[in-house]
Amino acid sequence: MQQFKSPILKVAIREAKRLVSGKIYWFCMIIAPLLCMVFFLSLMKEGLPTNLPVALVDIDNSTTSRSLARQLDSFEGTEIIMHCSDFNEAKIEMQKGNIYGIFFIPRDFEQEALSGNQPTLSYYTNGSYLIAGSLLFRDMKTVSTLASGAVVLGTGRAKGYTDSQIMAQIQPISIDTHPLGNPWLNYSVYLNNIILPGILALLIMSVTVYSIGIEIKEHTRLDWLYAGKGSIVRCLIGKLLPQTLVFFAVGLIMYVVLYLVLQFPMGSFIAMVLALILLILSSQALGIFMIGILPTLRLGLSFACIWGMIAFSASGFSFPVIAMHPAIQALTNLFPLRHYFLIYVDQGLMSRDFVYSLPQYFALAVFLILPVFVLKTLKHTLLYDSYKP
Amino acid sequence: MKTIDYIKKAIGDMFRIWHDELKQVFSDVGVIIFFLIVPLAYPVIYGLIYTTETIREVPMVVVDDSHSSLARAFVRKVDGTPDALIYSYVTNIDEAKALVDSKKAYGVLYFPADFSQKINRGEQSTVSLFLDMSGLLYYKALLLAVTEVSMDMGATINPTRIDTGAPINYESVSLYNPQNGFASFLVPGIVVLAIQQTLLLGIGMLAATTREKNPSGRLIPPHSSYRGTLRIVLGKALCYFAIYIFVSIWALEIVPRIFNLPQIGSTGTLLLFKLPYLLACIFLSMMVSTFIRGRETPMMILVFTSLPLLFLSGISWPLASIPDFWKYISYIFPSSFGIQGYVKLNSMSAGLSEIAFEYQALWIQTGIYFIITYLIYRKESIRKD
Repeated sequence: MQQFKSPILKVAIREAKRLVSGKIYWFCMIIAPLLCMVFFLSLMKEGLPTNLPVALVDIDNSTTSRSLARQLDSFEGTEIIMHCSDFNEAKIEMQKGNIYGIFFIPRDFEQEALSGNQPTLSYYTNGSYLIAGSLLFRDMKTVSTLASGAVVLGTGRAKGYTDSQIMAQIQPISIDTHPLGNPWLNYSVYLNNIILPGILALLIMSVTVYSIGIEIKEHTRLDWLYAGKGSIVRCLIGKLLPQTLVFFAVGLIMYVVLYLVLQFPMGSFIAMVLALILLILSSQALGIFMIGILPTLRLGLSFACIWGMIAFSASGFSFPVIAMHPAIQALTNLFPLRHYFLIYVDQGLMSRDFVYSLPQYFALAVFLILPVFVLKTLKHTLLYDSYKP
Repeated sequence: MKTIDYIKKAIGDMFRIWHDELKQVFSDVGVIIFFLIVPLAYPVIYGLIYTTETIREVPMVVVDDSHSSLARAFVRKVDGTPDALIYSYVTNIDEAKALVDSKKAYGVLYFPADFSQKINRGEQSTVSLFLDMSGLLYYKALLLAVTEVSMDMGATINPTRIDTGAPINYESVSLYNPQNGFASFLVPGIVVLAIQQTLLLGIGMLAATTREKNPSGRLIPPHSSYRGTLRIVLGKALCYFAIYIFVSIWALEIVPRIFNLPQIGSTGTLLLFKLPYLLACIFLSMMVSTFIRGRETPMMILVFTSLPLLFLSGISWPLASIPDFWKYISYIFPSSFGIQGYVKLNSMSAGLSEIAFEYQALWIQTGIYFIITYLIYRKESIRKD
């Protein structure tokens, strides 16, 4: 049987043994990505942060102001956790981080509202915490609008106008908003669809670099080359194939949890699986390229780590790429996660036609050419180079 | 007399160890990358990525079935806002959808046929806004622009057709980050985290190198200066501290100025704050480093934790919504308190009294990690003798 085995298979079996016996591989390939999945999904299990703490400063202390406060408190996103006697007291609580917002009702609010003197409600949000701040902004704005509406409805009805007449007066042009793809504004959907594959891509690049670099460092390079019958291509394919399969399995577990168990929006599962495969392969290709041009393990690995971390920002999933400086916009194309994110938006979130994503699939495929440029140097390193600490 | 000699010798040894460690740091490219290059370059990279702070002129398309001058005025006003840009007019929703699908636009503004008639009849009129939710910032920018225009125009359309009394005014203020900028929100957190992470990586790499170079695989080199545990731990810590005082001045005080990020905290207060943060990070790193075999292991097992740690700090996902279990886990890491403390000091003009909780927690961490590191090193030196 032995002699029928192709060199690729031989390298693959050699690699599988190395993976199974190396604790670091178990950790980086299986434990770390799945642990991150559990962490992020449990952290954001509510989808939207709820009951964000707010301080109420109610100088008026009237029936109207108390009812306003009750209304604000009843929103899912907001919870009034304290009543402060003045703004400064509330501001100190904000600086301590105990609250993310302040709702301020001025003196004689009720009286002035009823007498038509246009009192002003003020609400303050903490911009240092962007998510909390913007969610509270929304709730406090809604309550203020409702309060305004309530006063107008009250006086309007008393004068015999119909509600629709009054609404046309308060808000002549209303906006009917349709958020496409993620109508719940669910942050877990918004963040985890990219954070989790991004962590996987980071680990793939690291493991690729490590598993090749460690052969150089620990002087097993000739043994590896020998198993591949001296062909660097066979060596690389045989080495990385078992890793590809493990990462693919881990990626599929993520997909099953995200899209089948948690039912996150998913247009075409097949298209996304294709994107996953290309994300894995392009990350591996980048990894080969990195250790190829920096054939010292710690340098190659530093490269992979830095690239993998910056990829999160470069993907544009939180801060859009079109808002970045034009030069940086161009550079974002050098990160596989950027293309994966665009495919996810089209194929996963928005259920668009496959053609819209073709450029991105193509871009990911282009990464697969990268190893070609380092084959020669890598083989040279394997043959002659020794580890330089 | 003997005690004085002993103390003199101990301090002499400590500085010798400090000097040795410093030499080791600067002779190791791998460590230089993490101690100097990454902490110096990272804040700049992130500053550059997010320097525009917010998204402006998000393109949108218009479908106008009303063909009214009112709708056209509405569209002109939307185009005039800093947040939105009208990419084009199309004749139907399908064409609009195609433009959104090809990412030429991120929203569709639709005016129904009776848009202007309704207003003329004194009824409430509706515009529909379809938004691409692939980025929350597109959504926010377009919704903000259209809402502002609708209120603005609403106020000018026959202001007193019926007398219903004046409504309530309301004003909103975004404290500490008036334009809700992304860099102002995220970069401080990233920078503080980078200090902890690079210390973990660099110190881990140094410790593993010592082990690899030592024939016995131990942490303490066979040299007479390395006899007392306290002088080893303090000597090394002092070396890292000396480097990171400079690194942190760059990352926490100079970079924010370069990129116009919030920078309210005074240098004195920041120094008082950096003291326990750096020490807690250093002793945590020294403790972790004793378990590390292999110079490259720290990169493999620590780098990816940056993302969970950033979220555990509560800068992005609010602390109030972090499940208790994860909150307790976050107390292990100096970065959780460091990020909160720094943001409060530097962005929110808090003083040390407002961050007493974070400040005390960092000192407690410093104490705990110092003691554990000391005990581990002590065990190592006993094993050697």
